[in-house]
This record gives sequence, structure tokens and C-alpha cells, in this order.
Amino acid sequence: MSETAVGKIISVSELNIQVLINDEKIKYRDILYTNSKGRRIEFEVVEEDGNVISAIPFQNVVGLKKGLDVYKAEHGLEIQYNDEILGKVFDSYGKLLDDSQIEEVHKRNVYNRNLTLEEINLNGGILWTGIKVLDFFAPMQKGFKMGLLGGAGVGKTVLIKELIHNVYTGLNSNSVFVGVGERSREGKELYDEMLSANLLDKMSVVFGQMGENSATRSKAIFSGLTLAEYLRDEKNQDVLLFVDNIYRYVQAMSEINAELSRIPIENGYPANIETAISDVEERINSTPNGSITSFQAIYIPADDVTDQAVLTIQAHLDGQIVLDRKVAEKGLYPAVDVFSTTSKLIDIDKIGERHYRLVEEVLRYYSRYRELEEIIAVLGIDELSVADTNVFYRTRKLRNYFTQPMFVAENYTGIKGELVHIDDILDDVENIISGAYDGIDESNFLYIGKFNAEEYISR
Amino acid sequence: MSTYIENLVNAKLRNMKDMKNIYEVGYVSKVKDYILEVVGLEQVGFYERVVIANHSVGYVTSIGKNSVMVALLQRIDAIYVGDEVVTTGYDFCAMYSKAALGHIVDIFGEDRLVGEKFENLRPCMIETPAIPIMERGEVSRPFYTGIAGIDLIYPIGYGQRQLIIGDKKTGKTQIAIDTIVNQKDRNVICIYVAVNKTKKNIRELYDNLMKKGAMEYTLILAAFNDDEPPVSFFTPYAGLSIAEMYMREGQDVLVVIDDLKSHADIHREISLLAGKIPGRDAYPPDIFYTHSRLLEKGCQHKDGGSITILPIVETRGGDITDYISTNIISITDGQLVLSRKNFEKGLKPAINYGLSVSRLGGAVQEANMKKIGAVVRRKFLSYLETKEVYQLANIDEMSPEMQANIEEGERLQERLLQYKFSPRTPDEIKEDFMEVVGDFV
Repeated sequence: MSETAVGKIISVSELNIQVLINDEKIKYRDILYTNSKGRRIEFEVVEEDGNVISAIPFQNVVGLKKGLDVYKAEHGLEIQYNDEILGKVFDSYGKLLDDSQIEEVHKRNVYNRNLTLEEINLNGGILWTGIKVLDFFAPMQKGFKMGLLGGAGVGKTVLIKELIHNVYTGLNSNSVFVGVGERSREGKELYDEMLSANLLDKMSVVFGQMGENSATRSKAIFSGLTLAEYLRDEKNQDVLLFVDNIYRYVQAMSEINAELSRIPIENGYPANIETAISDVEERINSTPNGSITSFQAIYIPADDVTDQAVLTIQAHLDGQIVLDRKVAEKGLYPAVDVFSTTSKLIDIDKIGERHYRLVEEVLRYYSRYRELEEIIAVLGIDELSVADTNVFYRTRKLRNYFTQPMFVAENYTGIKGELVHIDDILDDVENIISGAYDGIDESNFLYIGKFNAEEYISR
Repeated sequence: MSTYIENLVNAKLRNMKDMKNIYEVGYVSKVKDYILEVVGLEQVGFYERVVIANHSVGYVTSIGKNSVMVALLQRIDAIYVGDEVVTTGYDFCAMYSKAALGHIVDIFGEDRLVGEKFENLRPCMIETPAIPIMERGEVSRPFYTGIAGIDLIYPIGYGQRQLIIGDKKTGKTQIAIDTIVNQKDRNVICIYVAVNKTKKNIRELYDNLMKKGAMEYTLILAAFNDDEPPVSFFTPYAGLSIAEMYMREGQDVLVVIDDLKSHADIHREISLLAGKIPGRDAYPPDIFYTHSRLLEKGCQHKDGGSITILPIVETRGGDITDYISTNIISITDGQLVLSRKNFEKGLKPAINYGLSVSRLGGAVQEANMKKIGAVVRRKFLSYLETKEVYQLANIDEMSPEMQANIEEGERLQERLLQYKFSPRTPDEIKEDFMEVVGDFV
């Protein structure tokens, strides 16, 4: 470690430290540090202007003074790795949170990996999640990036947890969970649950949660990606990557941008939002060595689906599950908006004609239902034609059928979770649409797994 | 101008000769409302407390190349350009004494009714680091508010952050007060943090809590709306710092923050005045972090002790999807939405059961309460939705199943009504609702 100072602090604000440097060579993303009142405070270089550099601090800067000596750390931001990373919990800077140690580590800079076009692999098999509404409207493929979009409090985190439960435990493949700017309570719960179910042995966890400053929140994703890349590139694994929540990364970048007094675009987002997101998303890809399949929760600020950050992230996705407050309000969970929930697999060549036609037909029912609701609000239900009455009641059954008791939501519903096979889903949907279940009350379709018709025939 | 700078330099030199430079002295060069620009302070720390003109108090908000910015906390007398600013060597912090429990205090440790400072004040850091993930325990112990709609359907646990959100005059504060009153004999310390409230509001609250015998275990930490805005901004952080101190002693603490929308507005005001770049709706881009680091203090500590937080947010026109509301909803562990429509119909507490959420749900309920709650919630929501769709249909022509559902829903609605200061015990709640849904549990 070089003990000669490279410069002195000349200005301090909450998220921006300016340093006047000697003739030392300093580059973008170098790490500098200083000692203040017995505390080591680190910051990362983000801007150079002649011999004045701006850096964002990783720690709280209370008490920092002008004129303090600044030193340069040997490396940029790194994360340690080897076989032992599985089962471990890291913070954004690659430090272990549970006081354990990793022996004989390798280290890797968290920004270094870029994929060439040649390396990208598109092939992968279908990955069923066992969740009816997802498998039906937005089937998942190995290597896909699936976004879970929703406003505040409509069930993104519950769905991510259910996917961890179904997909990770089902496949038992290596996983990385990255908590970005979300609740510490949920982070701890996830950790405890995985630990007590003995599931942590194949998962690495990185947390940069919402109580941390924006530098910390913006770095968690890079550390998590580096771990996933290690598993893919060096261990030749198929990796599952869960990110909750990628929007928080952009949000943290906005905070940093504002503190650097850079001119923002609409809603305070940084002007380089596209690059910032691509820096992350372009690394989440599959190579012939191994795949990264990702589920990314995306927060929609102010329920505004045209938000710049949301749209920019969406452009990178292979599929999306959109959660809607209006559906949640009716108590129908998962609160999926079926019109905007889709995936690249919804293609007649990929999932087959039957599934494809059923999706089309169901969407036709849903959109007619939406119109009928308005008519009913004015005229009442008795004025509908027979065909429309059928559409109305069958769609209500479909709506109820697409709710599902989830394993991780047993605390809300009081019902044990269920996995449903895609063949059963297609059969049930076909029967509802064809009218085979017209005589059965809609409430019988609420919070069930597959529909058990025999129960009703015997009545 | 050059004489001005010369004067500064000369004054500094004079001070050095006189050996007065133990505490550094600078001078006010600009006064912009409650934000001061100060020149001549070279050794001051970020967040350091400074004294202006021997009477007023401020703290350093940023250190620039040639000057530092100071936000004013207490303005005792007029401040002029050229006034002396003296550093203190201490980080700015709130002052608190345990003797203050049962009183209305401010962040400087002053009893606001009497106007005197408490004795044995000790410093309370405003910005403390987040409580580490590994120190957190599971949120699972039921926290009883005494309100059936909450305890049964959208329950709260010790260490949970549950937002209370709704328009003006929908009973938000009343729910918080009912909850405080219901903590009597439960060994919970309650801290009511008032941000930007009128003196009348606070006096009323104090009298109300006094009357119910709830002041014994309650602290009202108040920033009046004629205090300097930075004081209002810091008050919630100070409240949580005090709560953290109690929690680390193993105490259960309830913190009510009334309200965070005003807090966001104050933060916006200060940031814009300080020339920071605005984001959505002109709020500064760090508005999320402003509230997330505050509310993340709520937790169940693994060594016992907890901080339960009930933040309050006021909406306009019943819209809970505006920027600040969704921001806070995305931080808290659930929200209790109050609706003006219900309030006007006399359905009190005016909870909108469709939009409310408890992210912990049954995890913070005792087994029977959980069973009954899950059934009631499912049935009641389905009733509300059915009622909406079929409001024009003739009830007599409906299928018997549906008729029964509607009648049952109406009975549930009846039992959820509850007036202020009439708490129900968990057993009463279970009994009341078992009568309606007993067959399904």
C-alpha cells in the first residue's frame, strides 16, 4: 500500500468529495481513501478536471475536513471469489456480512467483463415456473431476462420469492441473489428462510439495501454480476440471477448525478441512463460455457409505466410480467395485468399452436370483458346478449383461475402453495372457454392449483 | 470588495497573533433565508455545529473550495453579512434526556411547554449508520392497535413499518393516537414525531393523550411550523435516534411520524434553496434515500427490543399513486389506506380494504387470529368486488350462493365499524368474527 499522499481534499458534500491531486496518475474508477477521526473513508473517482478530481464516498462523510491527505488504493473495486462464495452473504464492496472468512481467494475487478458478440448464446430450453399466469402468458426460457414490473406494494417481492422457491429449488442450480435498494428486513428474511431450509448452499447473496447511501446501492449489482460471471465462465454453470430491484440502481445513479451537479434529463434521471443500464444488462447473457437466467424486479415510480428508467430497462428484457394495482385491489394475486405480460416465447413456432391460440383467445375474452364492465356499469347485467353473458362469466372464472396460492404467501392467504403443470393449465383454460364449466360458481376457481372437475361432476 | 477580503485576512491574522485560533472563526458572506455562506473556515468538519454572531446556531452542509454552506437551526437574533461564525469542534447532534418522557420536547432538549432545557442531556447523533442486516431478527410478534380492521385483516408486528395514508380529515392521526393509547400497560415507549404541525394541533394531541393516561409512556418530539425548516427536517431522524437508543436497551418502541409528506416538502424547499438539481415533481433526486434511511431504522433487533414505525402521509384527491406516496409505500412493510368516501359514509375507521396491504400478514398474527383473518379478508374483498359489479343487479334474482355471500359481507362490514378510543382486545375481535365466518375456519 502506498503511504504517500496523492492529494488533499478541497471540498466536501454528502456524496461528492473533491481532491486536488499532485502529479499522480489517477483514472476513472480508481479508489482513493482518507483517514478522518480514526475512520477510513473510501471514495471512487468519477470525474477528472485538470488536477481536481471528483469522487463519490462509500461511507458517511460526517466530520470530514478540507485539507486531509488522500491516498490511492492499490486496486479499483474488487470482489473476492472462489468455490466458497456459495452460501455466503456479501455487501456491495465484497465484504462478508456474516463474519465468516473465505480462504485462498481470487479477486476480480467488478467492472471488467464485457462479452463479445461471438460469445453470446441464444439457445436454451423452456423453464416452467409452476405459476399458472406466468407459464401461460409469459413462459420463461433458460438464458432469458424476465422483468417483474410493478408499482409500490403490488407484490413484486413476493413473486420474486416464489420464483426463487419454485425455480431455484426445482432446478437446484447455482444462484446469485442481488438485493439493490430494497428492505433490509426482507433481505434478512430471505437469508433466514434459505438457511433454515438448507437451501443456501448453492446461492450467493449480495446486499446493498435501502438504508445505505447511493454509492453503496449502485455498486451491489456489479458485485453480484461478477459472482454470477465467475460461476458461468469458470465453473461452466447455468446460473440463476435474481435482482430485487434493478430500478434502485438507476435511482442511486440519479442521486450521484445530482450531487455531481450534472444536468439531468426528465424526472432527474442522469443523461447517461442508457449507458448506465447497458453497463449492467449487457453482462447478463449466456455463453456456450454456461447461461445466466435472470429475474429482475423493476419498480415503477408513481405507477408511471412511461417512466424513462422503466422503459430503458424494458428494452433489454426478453419477457415481462406486469403487476397492476387495479388487480391487486380486487384481491387477485399474483396481480398480473395480462395485456402487457408477455415473453418472446409467445410465438407459434416456440410454444406450439394450442398454447398460442389459447393465449390469443383468452386475451380476446379479457378485452371484451373490459368493455362489458363499462356497459354493465350503465345498463346492468341483464341487458347483455347471450354471447356476451358467456364472455362475462367465463372471463370472471379465468380471472379467478389465474390467481394461485403461493408457497411464500401462505402467511397472507392461509392456503398452502401449489405448482401447476402447463398441460393442466391449458386443459383447464380450454374447458373454461368452451363452456364446459359454465355450471360451476366462479368462487370455486379462486386460489386453487389445477381445477379438479370430478369434485363437481359427482354433485 | 478587495478591502472586504483584506479585512478578513487581517482579522484572521490578528486572531492568530492573539492565540485565539483554538476555535476557528469565519464570516458570513451571504444570507439566503436560512442558508448562509461563510468564508474563512478552513478547518471545519462536514456536519460540524457552528455558532453565528454569538447567538444563533447552524451546521455545515457542504464545504466548498472557497466557502462553506451553513444551514441555520436556531435564529435568536438578526444575522448580518460579516457576522462572526465560530466552529465548535462537535458534530451537530440532537440532545435528549430520559427525563423528557411524558413531555413535549424539541431536538435541542427543551421542554416546549415550560421553555426550559432538561438536565442530564446527552447527545443523540442524527445520522447513525443503518442497522446491519445480520443484527436484525424476524418480525413476528403481534403489535396490537386495538382496531379490528388492522389487528385482524392488515396486522402489524413489533418492528414493522406500516404507513397510514389518506386525504385530509380521514382519521389518519386518530388511528395513530388510538394505537398509542392501546399500548397502555404493554411496556412500549411511544414517540410521536410532529413535523410541521401547528402549535394548536400539538396542544390538542397532548391534552388528548393526557386525558387517556397515555403521556406516561409517550414522548412528543415536535418541530413547530415556525421553527427553522432544517429543524423540521431533522426532527424525524432525531426521533428515530432516540428510539434506537431505547431499542438497544431492549425496549420496544413505537414511533409515529406525522407526517412525511410535509417532511418531503421541507426537504424540497431546503434543497432548492441550496441550489440542488431537482428531479421528479421538483423533489431532489435523493428523496427516496431521505425516507428510506429513516424508515429502515424500524426493525426487530435480534437481542430483543424493536422499533415499530407508523409514518403518516397525506394525499390529495385520494390518489396514493403520486410520487411521494409510492416512494414511501415502496419502503414500508405495508400501507393502511384511508378513504374519504368511507369516512363520509360513516364507515369508520375509513379503511380502504382493497388498497391496504400488510406485507407481513399472518406472520405477525397468533395462529387463530391468522386463520380467522385470512378468511375474513378473502370473503370481505370478494364481497366488495361483487358489490361493485352487481350494484345494478336485482339481488333477489341472484344465485342463492351469491346472495349468501352478499349478506355475509354486509355482516362483516358491520363488525368492522369501530369508533375512536374504543379499543378491542384480540379475544373480542376473534369472538366477533367467529360468529360470522366460524364455519369456514
